[in-house]
Amino acid sequence: MAKEKPEIADESGDKYKYGFVTDIAADTAPKGLNEDIIRLISAKKGEPEWLLEWRLKAFEFWQTMTEPTWAKLKYDKIDYQDLYYYSAPKQKVPPKSLDEVDKELLKTYEKLGIPLKEQEALAGVVAVDAVFDSVSVATTYRAKLAEMGIIFCSISEAIKEHPDLVQKYLGSVVPYTDNFFACLNSAVFTDGSFVYIPKGVRCPMELSTYFRINAKNTGQFERTLIVAEDDSYVSYLEGCTAPQRDENQLHAAIVEIVVLKNAEVKYSTVQNWYPGDKDGKGGVYNFVTKRAACRGENSKISWTQVETGSAVTWKYPSCVLQGDNSVGEFYSVAITNNHQQADTGTKMIHIGKNTSSKIISKGISAGFSNQTYRGLVRVAPNAKGARNYSQCDSLLIGENCGSHTVPYIENRNKTAVIEHEATTSKISDEQLFYCMQRGIGEEEAVSLIVNGFCKEVMQHLPMEFAIEAAKLINISLEGSVG
Amino acid sequence: MAGLIQNIALFGENIPWFQGLREKGLEAFKHQGVPTAKTEAWKYTKPRDLNADDFVMNESNFLLELAEEKAECHCHEKSCHCHEDGCHCHEEGCHCQDEINVLVDLPFEAYQLHFYNGQFVPIYPPLPRGVEVMTLMEAVLNQEAKNYLGKLVDLANYPFAALNTAYMEEGSFIRLDKNTKLDKPIIIVNHSETGEQNLFYNLRNVVVLEAGAEAEIVEWYKYAGAEKSRYFANIVNEIFVARGAKLKHYKLQNEAFKANHLALNMVNIKEGGKYEAFCLQRGANIGRNETKVILTEEQAEAEVNAAYIMHGWATLDTTTDIEHLAENTISHQLVKGVVGGDAKGVFQGKIHIAKHAVKTEGTQLHKALLLTDTAEIDVKPELEIFADDVKCSHGAASGELDEETLFYMQSRGIGREEAKQILIDAYLDDAVNKIADSEVRDWFKEMIKA
Repeated sequence: MAKEKPEIADESGDKYKYGFVTDIAADTAPKGLNEDIIRLISAKKGEPEWLLEWRLKAFEFWQTMTEPTWAKLKYDKIDYQDLYYYSAPKQKVPPKSLDEVDKELLKTYEKLGIPLKEQEALAGVVAVDAVFDSVSVATTYRAKLAEMGIIFCSISEAIKEHPDLVQKYLGSVVPYTDNFFACLNSAVFTDGSFVYIPKGVRCPMELSTYFRINAKNTGQFERTLIVAEDDSYVSYLEGCTAPQRDENQLHAAIVEIVVLKNAEVKYSTVQNWYPGDKDGKGGVYNFVTKRAACRGENSKISWTQVETGSAVTWKYPSCVLQGDNSVGEFYSVAITNNHQQADTGTKMIHIGKNTSSKIISKGISAGFSNQTYRGLVRVAPNAKGARNYSQCDSLLIGENCGSHTVPYIENRNKTAVIEHEATTSKISDEQLFYCMQRGIGEEEAVSLIVNGFCKEVMQHLPMEFAIEAAKLINISLEGSVG
Repeated sequence: MAGLIQNIALFGENIPWFQGLREKGLEAFKHQGVPTAKTEAWKYTKPRDLNADDFVMNESNFLLELAEEKAECHCHEKSCHCHEDGCHCHEEGCHCQDEINVLVDLPFEAYQLHFYNGQFVPIYPPLPRGVEVMTLMEAVLNQEAKNYLGKLVDLANYPFAALNTAYMEEGSFIRLDKNTKLDKPIIIVNHSETGEQNLFYNLRNVVVLEAGAEAEIVEWYKYAGAEKSRYFANIVNEIFVARGAKLKHYKLQNEAFKANHLALNMVNIKEGGKYEAFCLQRGANIGRNETKVILTEEQAEAEVNAAYIMHGWATLDTTTDIEHLAENTISHQLVKGVVGGDAKGVFQGKIHIAKHAVKTEGTQLHKALLLTDTAEIDVKPELEIFADDVKCSHGAASGELDEETLFYMQSRGIGREEAKQILIDAYLDDAVNKIADSEVRDWFKEMIKA
């Protein structure tokens, strides 16, 4: 029997400090999904004909698909006809500077801790393409980046201003036939970010986007496309928070990354959407398709994620290692508490020769939560000398949570070396006792141990994120000890 | 699906509980059908490769015997397989007089039970007190099997076990009384010699160890006919290990290289019981050995080890599912494989730890060696954990023979092929050495080399 542990007051109920709703009028299309809505979205955004056709094709295909059920997730059936697919903050003319942006919006960002003005003043540290619901409202540092030939804008702008680039790469990594949620996104995506790094350019600053879900019942369908030309480098940060709500919110995003010869892309995520209250009520449904294609030789993609939010997470950032000597990395910390559920992991598809991949996944489950690591490592017949190392560690806190590991390993090349290791354990009483004996409180001790457990992943985060992420871990685990 | 459901008369239709079980099985199979590649449990071993449509089932051996007035065979047919004492056909190809030849030479002493193409050969070994061995139908008729048969099989999730249940007739029932300790292993040899026909047969064994009993059972699926013959063996074993009982269960699967061999071992272990299994697969086109162990009470322990070695086009699948339902239970798994030719090795392992099953320990390790560019290995080691105070780990690795090691051996005058063989043997030895019985272990090692 587990030893009796001292009881600690459960304070996890009111820990979501980003829970608030901004009250501004939204320009919202009627509920439901049909061809007319898609035409409306396309028309509102002034899209070219090819994109509308592509959307309609995706919608047609989506109707033939069924929602996947293989993940270890339990959630109420989503009524896709009961959602709003378009909602944009009301603004007739696109803002030219921050001064023109709705004051309410700016206040929201301030509450989130990303004051744009301050960012602007800090000059050259971080550029933010902040997304409020579905339409980008402000983009900073574009001019500066543009000098170097870097394009960093919302995808709707990119469609207008760089249609050839978008048409060339959109859907080339995640085709609309890929999966149920990706297909839905292809049909109805409203906005997202577009990054293009030209040949030989090293992006001097971390690019970042803050997503925020607002407006009641709006499904968020972001679409991010990053293209890194030969010999380029970019580090992209994505961070998310959402206001507190009772009704579940659907989020089905796509991130596509194309990495060409000798290029490197680092994609970091801190996801802190509303996880629902302590009884499992409410919370965001997060169904994301993230995939990077390392098309050129010696290309590299690195995914780092800290997942602490959402009621339901379904997310598998993948690397398709096509170019010879290309490298894929996946570092993940996932924390679930209360009734959160996460089914997350990665896919490493080795196609080119001497490709290598590394997976470090740390899962922490507490409360009544359930967490699954689901990963695939596939070595194609021609991927000579492929190398993979996977490590999945799980930490369980409390006796009502669950932690599962489902790795798939498919090797079709004899020269490939694949290693997979996984362990599951709990915080040992000795470790806790040691800390407490030295005057560290129990909760603090737990967060100390958990931070140590995650260190391998956290050190891959850019500095701006590392601090926020460490704080998030503490917030997420508060009230879980005992 | 139609190919596997056949309308044949089976013995025992007038026993309501037994017939009811069969009907449930048929119902469950009809409901599920042959699994498809979309069925998670059959993701890698493609059921369509079973080519399940063109197999035929034999008429009930028991009914034939009744009809032909027991003990006097006058069929005068070529290739008569009735195995009766009174056969006088003297025809070429008649196996009736071969009976004695089914007994095999083994490097260790054992009580031998024989099946010929899935039908029991009525030779009963002399057994010590406290040990009962009978055919499944005998155990059904005298009600002995009633408390055990079908109790462990989850028909709704195991389509081939449901199919087996629908057609079960042949098989053995082995029971050890309290505290009985078997002095030598019982070996169940299934001789396959199907010739031209694409035979489909179901075998069902029930093994019951009462409290404190100890036994060792060896299964040998032996092939002796024309190399290219196709047949489909569908085997289900239900194994009950009571309090403090210990069972060693070893299996050698050496079917014809075009045969299908599907086996499911359902094991239930009570307090302090121990189950130790090892399965070596080296034959069949599709070979699947699936073991589900349920550790129902404290201190129950299971060790499920396996090895496979293959060439050609085969798919060999080792699937395990260990359920820890009680505190302080232990399980260990070690599976090693060598895959050559165009073959595909599959390992799906699962450790499930139920809520409150704390202080449990579960380990799992799979390693495979790929010999050729066309070989494939698919692995899915899974952990499903609902309790916090557990020690669980799994590992998987795959790679090729180390070129430097080979070179080193060659530089010392060992031919390349021989060096490879030495390395392969050494690779599998890890797993084979888990067999506690040294005589059986040596026999398995020889079989790997053969």
